[in-house]
Amino acid sequence: MRQNPLIKVFLAIYLVIFFSYLLGPLVIMGITAFNSPSFPKAAPWECLTFEWFSVLANDHRIMTGIRNSFIVGIGTVILSVIIGLAGALVLTQIWPKLRATYYTIVIAPILIPGVVLGISTLVFWGRMNAFLGLSDESFLQNGIFLTIIGQTTFISSYCMLVFVARLQRFDQGLTEAALDLGATHVQAFRKVMLPFLYPAMGSAAVLAFLASFENYNTTTFTFGKYPTLTIELAQKVRYGINPSISALAVIIVTITILGALFYEMRKRREAMAIANGAPASAVSGGGFKLPKMLAGNPAAIILALVLIGGIGTVLFAQAYNPQACKVEVREEKRKATDKRIQELQEKAKQRSLQEKLKGPDIFNQPAQSPVPPAQAPSNPGSGTFGDVFNPGNLDEGDAKKTPDKGSSLNPGSGTFGGVFNPKNLNESSGKGTSQ
Amino acid sequence: MKGTFFKEFFNRNGPLLGTYLLLAVAFWIIILIVLPQLSMLDYSFRFNLPPSAQGGEKDVYTMSNYQHFFNGSEGNPERLSIFGYQTDIPFNKVDIAVFFKTILAAIFVTAFDLALCYPLAYFLGQSASGPSGRVLLLLLIIPYWVNEILRAFAFRIIFGATGVINTVLVGVGILDTPIDFIRENVALYAGLGYAYLLLMIFPIYNAIESLDRNQIEAARDLGSPWWRIHWRIVIPFAKPGIVSGCTMVFMLTAGALAAPQILGGPSSLWFTQIIYQWFNTGGNWPRGAAYAVVLLFICIVFVLAMMRLFKVKMGEIGK
Amino acid sequence: MSTGVGVDLDDVWVKFGDFVAVREANVSIKGGEFFSFLGPSGCGKTTILRTVSGFQEPSQGEVRIGGTNMVGIGPNLRPTALIFQNLALFPLMPIWENITFSMEVRGASKGERRKRADELLELIALQGQGDKMVNELSGGQKQRVAIARALCAEPDVLLLDEPLSALDLKLRQHMRTELRAIQKQVGITFIYITHDQGEALTMSDNVAVMSAGVIDQIADGRTIYDDPASPFVASFVGENNVFSGKIKTITKDYAVVDTPAGDLRAKIGTAARGKLQKGNDAMAFVRPEALAIAAGRKGKDENRLTASIKTEEFEGQSYNIFLNQADGAEIKMSLVNQGQAYEHAPGSQMTLSCNADQAVVLPAGALASE
Ligand SMILES: Nc1ncnc2c1ncn2[C@@H]1O[C@H](COP(=O)(O)OP(=O)(O)OP(=O)(O)O)[C@@H](O)[C@H]1O
Ligand SMILES: [Mg+2]
Repeated sequence: MRQNPLIKVFLAIYLVIFFSYLLGPLVIMGITAFNSPSFPKAAPWECLTFEWFSVLANDHRIMTGIRNSFIVGIGTVILSVIIGLAGALVLTQIWPKLRATYYTIVIAPILIPGVVLGISTLVFWGRMNAFLGLSDESFLQNGIFLTIIGQTTFISSYCMLVFVARLQRFDQGLTEAALDLGATHVQAFRKVMLPFLYPAMGSAAVLAFLASFENYNTTTFTFGKYPTLTIELAQKVRYGINPSISALAVIIVTITILGALFYEMRKRREAMAIANGAPASAVSGGGFKLPKMLAGNPAAIILALVLIGGIGTVLFAQAYNPQACKVEVREEKRKATDKRIQELQEKAKQRSLQEKLKGPDIFNQPAQSPVPPAQAPSNPGSGTFGDVFNPGNLDEGDAKKTPDKGSSLNPGSGTFGGVFNPKNLNESSGKGTSQ
Repeated sequence: MKGTFFKEFFNRNGPLLGTYLLLAVAFWIIILIVLPQLSMLDYSFRFNLPPSAQGGEKDVYTMSNYQHFFNGSEGNPERLSIFGYQTDIPFNKVDIAVFFKTILAAIFVTAFDLALCYPLAYFLGQSASGPSGRVLLLLLIIPYWVNEILRAFAFRIIFGATGVINTVLVGVGILDTPIDFIRENVALYAGLGYAYLLLMIFPIYNAIESLDRNQIEAARDLGSPWWRIHWRIVIPFAKPGIVSGCTMVFMLTAGALAAPQILGGPSSLWFTQIIYQWFNTGGNWPRGAAYAVVLLFICIVFVLAMMRLFKVKMGEIGK
Repeated sequence: MSTGVGVDLDDVWVKFGDFVAVREANVSIKGGEFFSFLGPSGCGKTTILRTVSGFQEPSQGEVRIGGTNMVGIGPNLRPTALIFQNLALFPLMPIWENITFSMEVRGASKGERRKRADELLELIALQGQGDKMVNELSGGQKQRVAIARALCAEPDVLLLDEPLSALDLKLRQHMRTELRAIQKQVGITFIYITHDQGEALTMSDNVAVMSAGVIDQIADGRTIYDDPASPFVASFVGENNVFSGKIKTITKDYAVVDTPAGDLRAKIGTAARGKLQKGNDAMAFVRPEALAIAAGRKGKDENRLTASIKTEEFEGQSYNIFLNQADGAEIKMSLVNQGQAYEHAPGSQMTLSCNADQAVVLPAGALASE
């Protein structure tokens, strides 16, 4: 294609912007997991730390959430794959006049807002429960059951789409051939159709599990007493943040990247096999050589790199001790802060002089993120400190709040740092939801 | 006719398999899809009664939940004004404003995503083949696998008062005080736009990929400027993909709950949040169900309108 | 070897909605016979085969295999094995598993199956290739595997749906001979479907010619070629020249048709005996090789026809002259290449001769389209 250089430059800029938008947030979130400040921040970089991972590992609720997510995920995968497969098989056989209607019905759950699915599941099974005269504690009202049911409603549609795509390449003649050779319907299904569908079942199961694992909108209505990981995460993100969430994100992102890469790799391999005219299993079953698989399969290459990187990181984390760095940074910060405070106090004095001349103008602006008065005492002698200090409060907080597992330099700082920053965010989201 | 369908069906699948297929599909359609929706619809016409009174004589149908959506609670001082004329009809200004704001914002986010994704989808579909194209595709897919909550969380880190952008801007000295991106809803729109980007790209990409490059070359040969090539050839060809992408993004955005909860500013309510409140803090399920029905209704209308407007069939959505 | 099991279709109709795919089929196939259905695409051949194998219930009538009515008996319980139009080999199984699939579903042990597979692989000349996958075989090899797979089921009747249509000419001719040889060897009934008349005529004991769901004629290849039962059969099987017109005079065995090329005296087709009368619309069929350039005196049973020359064409062993009758209908004459010169100017008249016994008269009817 003829392309003038200007277009190329624009294209490059556009691609950079696009992918920064796409990947930047994840990268930044990843960085915060390794930065020592207790509020997730990527900049300024302070100390490399792995402590957020251990904080995470000790978080009881997160761990329970993960367990619940797995139970729900497995249940949903089983149900959705079974239902999605049946849905796809029926689609290939249904009376042509009914096909469009049928397709609309079974694809609708994807388009229905998740919130609506959650609510309708909750309402329907609640009434079912009452109708059957069961107690409130019955199985039908169990959070795990409801969540699985609610998620299965739409995840089955995803699975169905996966199966439909695969079935389009299935030759119905194969089933007939098997029957003709004396197989029963079940034998024909098990020995001919199912092996053909195995790859699709794998894809569908992975897709279903991920969709279940990350579902929020539906689950938030149905989870009952069994919050899944996503629910716990949402609670945490809404009501208080520390980098252990970033740490969890790093883990989840790594696992999902591994999963995505693995999935892509398999898809790619399948595509390659089909391009060569062979079924996927023939290729994987036969002497498929690793280097050949890597060649021309970027997913596999990235997967290998990620694996190596991950192992390297874990090994490094075992040996690394951030304590020295932390002390240093703390020291530096304290000095910088002291200086800054002095400067600002100067400024504050000047301003408060000016305020007396033209007040309202200035009051309005800093009031945006108020600092609770209770924190003022940590800096005696500046009533206006909280307001004026706003831009700098980050540094301040961080310098002092670096959790030190018990031994804190500044007795007041533990509560100060812990309360101050999350509070900032709580304010906004708290208002956001309590209106 | 139906009889022969079932007979043929069982002939083809045998008794065991046929029963499995029918049972699984019937369970899905009836128990999972249709009945719950009907149940929710029915529920939305009921009073909010304590469990003991349910099914009792007070448990009758009512429009009150929908009335609340339009007219507000009793004693609501707001009155509907049409073109400046004040009427006597009470008017639930808060909820209806939120409703329209949600729809408008969802449309805005959809348009934003479309504008952002179309060039990339075109680039990927037409120019980027081979390994580099596959790497780009992979890079696109990875964020899609990451939890929605975490994606929103990432935006919170970036846009928070002490987030990356503010820290950098203040640190460099461009800003004096941090901008409250959350309050200004910048974070919310950025996060929502981000959340479903992929569902826009892939349908368009799939459509454009199957466009024969020669068509574009031919048009260029005939002296067509680039914008006309897109307007007359690429866009009409990719229409099903575009409609499919827009529909999905709109539906998911309008129905989003996590991003507004996490990224929404104090003054911004998303319609799903109101529903959520009726179910949780509000404790009025029938009313929440009514609001959910309203949301479902508008979504159905939107999908049908899109399909009618652009003459796209249901079968093309969800590919 | 066994004499095989016969197959009877008794007034079989197959309808899809309002569309009649097979109309009133009455066929009786003897055990051990190689029987072909021949007809143009879409005439209902596959449908008949699916009715025999049990994938399609007849809307009316009865299918009997070995004298037993097959109604309500599923395809997996019938003593038939079908070789599909597209072969339908299982792509995910190696060759030997493909071949012995019918034993696998009956629960035969692996050792047994391997042994049988080796036997059959030998029969189809693919020894030692049992562990290959389907996609690693050539078209002809796949073909043979499909045959072995069907034979492994030890069917009483083997049904073959255009199994050679995907092969190139050379391979097809080779496979014809092989199929016939295999049939002789195993001695079971073969029902073979094809739209290639050469295939039907060379291999079969008997051929049924179908058009649009109706069976026009059932006979051995020679009869079908020499004594067709309908204008469709006459024009579909082999090349034929049509001379249409009214019957001028008629005797018991011969009729004279008043054609645009002149009066043509021809034998009345066996199927048309007693059905023709003077003045009826009729068609006389003469094969291209039965025509000659008239020379010398007119013999007793000889016809003389006139037509105008259109073109000539050299085809190696033969040499063809195309002519037009007075009404424009085309005539093709095929002469053995004996080094004749091309000397016929287009547009000039030519007199042809043909023997009355090599021409067939039938009542006028639909011809096979090109
Ligand atoms: N399941 C079906 N539903 C409706 N019509 C059908 C069905 N199967 C076949 N037909 C119709 O019946 C007619 C005969 O089909 P059949 O497959 O028997 O043709 P055929 O003689 O095998 O042709 P070919 O040589 O092309 O394979 C065709 O017109 C076809 O469209
Ligand atoms: Mg056929």
